[in-house]
Amino acid sequence: MSNASTPQSDQELLNARLEQANQQLLQSEKLAAIGQLAAGVAHEINNPVGYVYSNLQTLDTYLNDLFRLTEAVDSARSLDDLRVIKQNIDYDYLRDDLRDLLAESREGIERVKTIIAAMKDFSHIEEEEFKPADIHRGIETTLNVVNNELKYKAEVVREFGELPEVECIISQINQVVMNLLVNAAHAIESFGRITIRTRQQGDTAIIEVQDTGKGISPEHRHRIFEPFFTTKPVGKGTGLGLSLSFNIIEKHQGSLDVDSTPGEGTCFRLTLPITQPDPNNE
Amino acid sequence: MIKIQLVDDERNILSALRRLLKPEGWEVHTYDNVEEALGSLLEHEYAVIISDYRMPTADGVTYLQFAKQRQPDAIRLVLSAYGDRESMIKAINQAEVHRYLSKPWEDHEVVSVIRSAIDLYQLKKENQRLRQENDRQKDMLRAREEELLRLEAENPGITRVQRDADGSVLIGNDD
Repeated sequence: MSNASTPQSDQELLNARLEQANQQLLQSEKLAAIGQLAAGVAHEINNPVGYVYSNLQTLDTYLNDLFRLTEAVDSARSLDDLRVIKQNIDYDYLRDDLRDLLAESREGIERVKTIIAAMKDFSHIEEEEFKPADIHRGIETTLNVVNNELKYKAEVVREFGELPEVECIISQINQVVMNLLVNAAHAIESFGRITIRTRQQGDTAIIEVQDTGKGISPEHRHRIFEPFFTTKPVGKGTGLGLSLSFNIIEKHQGSLDVDSTPGEGTCFRLTLPITQPDPNNE
Repeated sequence: MIKIQLVDDERNILSALRRLLKPEGWEVHTYDNVEEALGSLLEHEYAVIISDYRMPTADGVTYLQFAKQRQPDAIRLVLSAYGDRESMIKAINQAEVHRYLSKPWEDHEVVSVIRSAIDLYQLKKENQRLRQENDRQKDMLRAREEELLRLEAENPGITRVQRDADGSVLIGNDD
């Protein structure tokens, strides 16, 4: 206040602090969202773990049966004795089922692996810089994380167009897509459809998330991007999802638009520039 | 033969359970969707019905409520990876399940719970059979009594046979 140079640096300091607070808010919203997904993710993992675990116990019984046969090779008096054992342990069934058992168990472990990898991709704190990224891969990762929130509420339809790599902070774009998907699922009362559409339009990439849910009523329409505005029951939403999504997209020099008809559904449209405009040219 | 119905939208869960139950010698029917499972309730009589909780189109509790209407004697179990309070309360109060099992499960626990469910089912059935038998015998007794009363009304004294000291039947006025 006393000299002329401080306001400038004060403002820079405040801006830096604001930026930092924004980052923290973004991160905590992401963690809150993951926390809300945790029960669903546990379900998603317990299913494959359930059958793999049971299959391993069955495998133990199968192995004991097979060992009974192989060990009898030394002790059996005739080939007929061996044949009797082979028949007793239902060898033909066992041989066929072993392959299925192993294939299904591998599939289960693969699924657990995919979910864990997606969670990890998703909760990345680093990668705060703009880099060319594969949007479709990001959407698939996000779908893996929220699969459990979606699959009981909607059929997920992918209508992916041709997209070049888009210069963005992919972890943040994933977070926006996750918000849109979870919102879409929450908007559907019994069972509906969620369509994810992508396409290139000029020098922008467009991602649309459309649901067949209950829609946004006109009086709520202008408030959806306000921080802490939510129509969800306590504990279901932070009220920050869309407002942070809006900030993220703004930072990407893109736009987030909504089209909604009460009773028919909602479509959120995310428009991102494929290459970030050079800040020096502005 | 004891029939068991398994309902889960995850096919690999059904295969694992089928493997687990094969040595028990029960007839195991598996369904990966609620619609077909419902249909089969019209064709087969099940001793035990085991359903997942979270499934697309209908949750396990809703399915088991339907199953309870169609086959009230079948013992209902839930096998779920989603053990929250709300789902358990619904399962107990609305679908009146015998046990709530969670995924991942212990094989021996699942088998022993199904065995006890089958025992309970057979006890219920035996109880019903005995009650029917009892009702049938009561009806027979009542019919006989009515016949005796009718005879007595038509011919007073006919139902009371009197004999003398050496066992001969006495006919005529006895007083």
